Amino acid sequence: MVDPGSGPFLFDTSAESWLARTRSNWLREYLSLHQLHISAITVLERSRGYSLLYSSAPENRKKKIEGMRVAWLSGLGRVWPLDGAVAVVAGEIMALLPDPPTPPRRSHQLAESRSERLSRWRFDGMIAATALVARLPLIHNNAADFEAIRSAIERSPGRFPDLGPLELIRCRLLRETVH
Amino acid sequence: MSTQHRAGGSKKRRTTLTLPVDSLTQAERIARARKVNLSTVISEAISEGLRLHAALERSEQVFSAYKNAFSGLTDDEMAILDGIILEPASRR
Repeated sequence: MVDPGSGPFLFDTSAESWLARTRSNWLREYLSLHQLHISAITVLERSRGYSLLYSSAPENRKKKIEGMRVAWLSGLGRVWPLDGAVAVVAGEIMALLPDPPTPPRRSHQLAESRSERLSRWRFDGMIAATALVARLPLIHNNAADFEAIRSAIERSPGRFPDLGPLELIRCRLLRETVH
Repeated sequence: MSTQHRAGGSKKRRTTLTLPVDSLTQAERIARARKVNLSTVISEAISEGLRLHAALERSEQVFSAYKNAFSGLTDDEMAILDGIILEPASRR
């Protein structure tokens, strides 16, 4: 069980949306105590996603998609920038782990391209770097990617002086605090 | 009621309140210990309560905004919002 009071935490992109869609009271409790901390990379991924949904939506659904985007922006908490320190750490992570640890995602008749998978992997590295620099535990919904990054950092502590370890919390563990 | 302006302070207004005896006794004890008047202690307590109330209201607004931001989407649409861009496999 993860006490919401032990925050603040940095939320990975998919962890943020997963929490908002569960019936768990954990997010409500957390928000009564802390801001939601996210990386600027999450803002990038989310903005791109809303824009793609908007452009592909039929006319009668565009207004709803835009309303969802505005709702998300209105709830933004602390956004950590991709600054020089984060870029240095992210570069180290990318050099240690140039390739994603899992193949592109597939779903029914849909598939993620290799270039999209590589981009997403690099974004995960930037989010992990943000958590390290901000010294915040990272709540995630993507164990394969983030555990690989955590292990690489532990194997090469000299490349991350005065940083780490990368503290990871799987968002599914938060479900245990459902009331 | 009367309104007063104090140099360097915010506008103040005199009023009459009915408070629980226990709370009032505790406030008087704190005022004596800190060597300040009772109004100061009550004012600080009200300010803190109002700050907490505003924070709670804001957190409920944010929680509601997050619920609205992700409601009514399919799994594939959620994947797109999470940065996972899926295309028809035949197009690749």
